[in-house]
Amino acid sequence: MSTDTFGGASQRSVDNLASRLRRRQVVGSRATALETLLVLRQVVSKARFSNMEQLVEIIRSVGRRLVDAQPKEHSVGNTVRKVLHHIREEYHTASGTNAATMPQTFSIAKFVLLGQPRQHTVAPKAGGAKGTLKENDPDDPDSFARGLKPVLMEAIQDVLDELETVYDNVSKNAKDHIHSDEIILTLGMSKTVEAFLKSAAHHRKYTVIVAETAPSYGGREMAQSLSSAGISTFLVPDSSMFAIMSRVNKVILGAHAIFANGGMFATSGSLIAATAAQAHRTPVVVCAGQFKLTPLWNLYHEYGALDFGDPNSVLGFEEGDLVDKVEVVNPYYDYIGPELIDGFITNDGDHPPSSIYRLLKETYDDEDNEL
Amino acid sequence: MSEPSTNDKPRHPFDVYEAYRRIMVDEEISPPLAAILTLTELMENSTGESTPMAANLFVSFLVLVAGTMFELVKALNDGAEVLKARSSNPISLNAGCELFIAFVTLFPHDSVSFTDLKAKLVRQGQQYAAEALAYRKKIAELAVGFIKDGSLILTHSYSRVVMQTLLLAHERKRISVFVTEARPRGLGIKTAEALTAAGIPTTVILDSAVAYVMEKVDFVLVGSEAVVESGGLINAVGSNQMAIIAKAANKPFYALAESYKFHRLFPLSQYDLPNHNSRIFSFPRPKSSPLTGSKQVPTSPSSSDPPEETSSSGVAPVTITQEQISQNNPDVDYTRPDLISLVFSDVGSLTPEGVSQYLVGMFAG
Repeated sequence: MSTDTFGGASQRSVDNLASRLRRRQVVGSRATALETLLVLRQVVSKARFSNMEQLVEIIRSVGRRLVDAQPKEHSVGNTVRKVLHHIREEYHTASGTNAATMPQTFSIAKFVLLGQPRQHTVAPKAGGAKGTLKENDPDDPDSFARGLKPVLMEAIQDVLDELETVYDNVSKNAKDHIHSDEIILTLGMSKTVEAFLKSAAHHRKYTVIVAETAPSYGGREMAQSLSSAGISTFLVPDSSMFAIMSRVNKVILGAHAIFANGGMFATSGSLIAATAAQAHRTPVVVCAGQFKLTPLWNLYHEYGALDFGDPNSVLGFEEGDLVDKVEVVNPYYDYIGPELIDGFITNDGDHPPSSIYRLLKETYDDEDNEL
Repeated sequence: MSEPSTNDKPRHPFDVYEAYRRIMVDEEISPPLAAILTLTELMENSTGESTPMAANLFVSFLVLVAGTMFELVKALNDGAEVLKARSSNPISLNAGCELFIAFVTLFPHDSVSFTDLKAKLVRQGQQYAAEALAYRKKIAELAVGFIKDGSLILTHSYSRVVMQTLLLAHERKRISVFVTEARPRGLGIKTAEALTAAGIPTTVILDSAVAYVMEKVDFVLVGSEAVVESGGLINAVGSNQMAIIAKAANKPFYALAESYKFHRLFPLSQYDLPNHNSRIFSFPRPKSSPLTGSKQVPTSPSSSDPPEETSSSGVAPVTITQEQISQNNPDVDYTRPDLISLVFSDVGSLTPEGVSQYLVGMFAG
């Protein structure tokens, strides 16, 4: 790809992030999303392009490199797609064409496509007539870029703001989801769930049961954090999740990535909680930011898509003779099907699993599904 | 029942059903597309002729061509009614007709003259039919992404889109296929022969053996006659059975459907389908009544009276032919949306709930 279209500094930052992703020095959906966004911001600000396709291609090539570096961190790809979507919207507003109008050539095929969930029409930002944007100007190749960049930077800033306020927005209505004297079950360490529960604790008095979540023992950290916030907390081993489920009113889980069919990847152990909850007809609610929405369908058929952690924490390498005879697997995530989940609480409202694909169509553009 | 067609013939040399039959000779064209092409031809032929609905001489005196939008739509609706009445399995036909008529109604009227508008509509119809033949390839590409290497696929009867998908998958991965025989028409055998000729390991299994093999299978893949508003599927009889068994065995059930098969029907039970009639599952009339001693040849039984004397020993033996069985049994059945995992269509992969939202968006949006 033409690497002279963005400067050496941004090239270096892309390489830097790619190698950190590969070496797992950046882990976790929100952290990777933030890092990706910062890199994209730098790339766009330094990029040189004279029409829309070039800009899209630059961002896509960066996206491809980052996704290839760590295909299991889905939020990297999601952030790139989100940025592309916002950029296209800004471009359509700026050049005066409305992206959501009926296409010029009216045909039966286009008529059928009317059934697609339509994108929200963006109110044109107050900024005077931007119809002066001229693509591929031979005299001044940078005029297009110059005219468009301020708007693009604004768009990227919007995405950044959304990412930074994820925890606050998800916890906004926490007090409506949790009632007094309820018993909530959760597991693992999820910052989103933590913020959600702490926000509800300001208004309600309730109890939380946290499962240890071996072998990472993220549950211990969560229990400590919650109890220091004054919430009455119980820490239980994973094996007792089914046993106590009859006393539990709600199960609240975090997610790593949410797929187009409404299913999700979540910390290993979540599938046990969700299945036990289904047997007891207990609602299962997932708190997640919208940057976790992934427009991919069939990852869960791939056994390898479950990230694998260090087998040492399951069976230590000190157990010399066992290590040879036993294959030790430490999957980091579980795939949970849409039928086990009752609702997603996101920073942009609450949704049932069946409308996730609709959200996806509205948040991302179809052509970006394959970067 | 055939009243519109008698209206049709004496007044008007263009016979809708003949045109439909003629178009259907091409194997590649499915019923909804043929319906769209037939209606296009009907539109073409309504220029300069009295319209089929001009039964009233007074009206026909005033209107010699379909001169307004209202009349055009009425002519199309009448043509569609004729097709539905004459066809034994009108569901997918319905879908195509409704799509075309809705399109005609919503087409922007910015042409110079009405004839010009009609010409444009005719062109649109033909263009769509030409494009739509490429939809099967698009669906195949989409579905192949869900087929893992080394999969064992179960399919039902004969479906062109499933054939394309399996052949495409065979180019890139290793697959093997079980096909149900799909009695009484036995189209499953046609599928098996075509797949074996292409080099895919295929076996025909009995319709009754679906539960037996379900554990071995990786997923079930079927075509469709129509996908309805509830998100359910209408397909050759036996699909519902397969879906129920697949659900019980926790196997995914995928349906492949082109977007022109989306239909605004909402069946609440199997018997809500348009082609269900009293002939299906009726009991045969008794062959000869012992009192009168007269022999009645048991041809297609049409009443649903229970037989009075089922086995009178002195009567001639009752033979039930395959022909009778196939006439007495339904051609299609309805599969509920909660049994279907995903619907693959040229507009993308949709969950069954997504299909109903889609239909609402298309026809009501």
